[in-house]
Amino acid sequence: MNFVLIFLITIFSLSLFFYGRSKTKTISIEKNIKLNALPKFYGYYLVLWCSIPSLVFLLIWTLFEPVIIKSIIIETAANQGAIFNDKNEANLIYEKIKAIYAGTYFGDIDTILKESALSYAKFIILFTNSKIVLIFGIVIASVIYSLKKIKNNNKARDDVEVILKGLLFASSLIAILTTLGIIFSLLFESIKFFSVINIFDYLFGTNWSPQRAFVRDASAITAEEYEELKDAFGFIPLIAGTSFIAFIAMLVAVPVGLFSGIYMAEYASLKVRRISKPIIEILAGIPTVVYGFFAALTVGPFFRQIGENLGLTVSSESALAAGLIMGIMIIPYVSSLSDDVINSVPQSLRDGSYAVGATKSETIKKVVIPAALPGIIGSVLLAVSRAIGETMIVVMAAGLAANLTINPLESTTTITTQIVMILVGDQEFDSPKTQSAFALGLTLFIATLVLNYIAQRAVKKYREKYD
Amino acid sequence: MNEIKIKSKNLNVYYGEKQALFDVNLDLNEKEVTALIGPSGCGKSTFIRCINRMNDVIDICKVSGNIEIDGVEINDKNLDVVSLRERVGMVFQKPNPFPKSIYDNISYGPKIHGKGETKSELDEIVENSLKKAALWEEVKDRLDEPGTGLSGGQQQRLCIARAISVNPEVILMDEPCSALDPIATAKIEELIDELKKTYTIVIVTHSMAQAVRVSQKTGFFHLGKLIEVGKTEKIFKNPDNKMTQDYITGRFG
Repeated sequence: MNFVLIFLITIFSLSLFFYGRSKTKTISIEKNIKLNALPKFYGYYLVLWCSIPSLVFLLIWTLFEPVIIKSIIIETAANQGAIFNDKNEANLIYEKIKAIYAGTYFGDIDTILKESALSYAKFIILFTNSKIVLIFGIVIASVIYSLKKIKNNNKARDDVEVILKGLLFASSLIAILTTLGIIFSLLFESIKFFSVINIFDYLFGTNWSPQRAFVRDASAITAEEYEELKDAFGFIPLIAGTSFIAFIAMLVAVPVGLFSGIYMAEYASLKVRRISKPIIEILAGIPTVVYGFFAALTVGPFFRQIGENLGLTVSSESALAAGLIMGIMIIPYVSSLSDDVINSVPQSLRDGSYAVGATKSETIKKVVIPAALPGIIGSVLLAVSRAIGETMIVVMAAGLAANLTINPLESTTTITTQIVMILVGDQEFDSPKTQSAFALGLTLFIATLVLNYIAQRAVKKYREKYD
Repeated sequence: MNEIKIKSKNLNVYYGEKQALFDVNLDLNEKEVTALIGPSGCGKSTFIRCINRMNDVIDICKVSGNIEIDGVEINDKNLDVVSLRERVGMVFQKPNPFPKSIYDNISYGPKIHGKGETKSELDEIVENSLKKAALWEEVKDRLDEPGTGLSGGQQQRLCIARAISVNPEVILMDEPCSALDPIATAKIEELIDELKKTYTIVIVTHSMAQAVRVSQKTGFFHLGKLIEVGKTEKIFKNPDNKMTQDYITGRFG
């Protein structure tokens, strides 16, 4: 139904464009007046007035219709004698009624359900009809209003400008609100988690074994049960594992990426640059899941083999393998960002250095790199925040057990891996285990936010110097 | 007249397909200021960049012909460019101090060449260079402040001090005053007058008045060719070539 309505509104608006355009032309000829805007702006004006109010109304209606119908139906069901003790049971009955209406319910249908389903059907028809009537009303009202406006030779160009500005503003508002929504949902779920698990037990605990909290109802945890639980959600092993793997990744990515960036910016001839830069950037285009199974199936076992030959015990899911592959994944970021910042160091600085007899490498080491340093630090910090947020590689290659270790040959785990592990499969939504995923997500979010902020500040500080 | 310090013979320069200099034969005298004038794109800057081989930095640039300094060929693949540039310093059109402290800007060159091994030797080099560039009095109390924080004229004198710091024989100046106001320009010109007692100076300029004020010898370039060269006085009062006459009287260029 909605699609038909949208289609009709669109077709009607588009035809109004041509009507408005030719209409204003006629008006200007008949009355011999100078139009306040080009005829096409009157066309746009009609299109915008016809489509936006009705589409916005349709959107709002579609969002609220199910909510309203649901509350009405639940109330009528209650009046007819249906008994439900809490929200969940009410939801269940409502779902049953909907299924009966759709013809997909195969359980027993009692009188209450049957009556409710009938009234549900009635309301659906009522709402749909009133929706159609209202939308046509809105379309007609706004078209009459805008037609009157253009007959009075309004300043359609300015009006179109205002409407478009509003549309653009609305789009950015959606982006911002979505972000805020995500942050708040993280925040609220985390607060639920922290109302069960003390935040200090979470932040400073050294043991992570959330499976111990499985199928426990968070709201009904007794003091004794909490004693058992409180050391199940220690964050330390996760942040240690995350930092450790990110550190190994940076050990790989920073030198290789920085040096290749320097080579690209300073030494590579145009021809080499044209070929090799896209190749390096292909690395950035490989899906992380591919890196992941490369790490898990090739590199991990390879390290274990080497370890065995050397007489070392190497876990096949070692931090080393995950970190190494993650480092390789990050190389193109460091490389291309540092290439950019090095390129934007003005040539005149290099000339100044050459002119006192410095060699190329001296110039790079003592003039170019120091001048580009804030930007390079920024790019490294961005890479770090990518490393700690990276999921697929560590899920596949880093292991699941939260070992608190600094031995790169042992398996360790990360924040992102644990979030995945907690949320795959069926979950009890009020179990602290599930809620801990949100707390982890929030912590991770704050960490990357801080890193990104520092990185952007560093890059900005650098930009101010040369632009 | 002083002895010839730099001698170019049949110097040709190409940027890719385009030829920028055509058979330039020009002698530059020791401890004198030579001004190179001519309309934009005539090859003056290209010429002075041959003297310290700065054109090497540009990939597509090819130089053929000879340039001798003190009778030694410098347009030679086997020549050590680094030590050549130690002898031939350069000051650029736009002041380009490093984003380092004033002190580090000056000590950069000497450190690279291993001059001034102790701190006090280095301090002395910095002080002398800044004094020679007539900047010492203005900055002696804030040597650790960034060089980029100075005014345009001070920055350019800082760059001159940087060029002097490695004790060169020749200083090339590529329109050193084009980004400066008249007062800063006057200071630099005064400085050039002082510096010519010690150094051979080549200055590219678009200002006729500046060429007259600072130079003893002037060369006029047009479309990559050296049209006329001679004593500054003669070039500006009584040039041999009609084109030189037209250029200095402002009829073209």
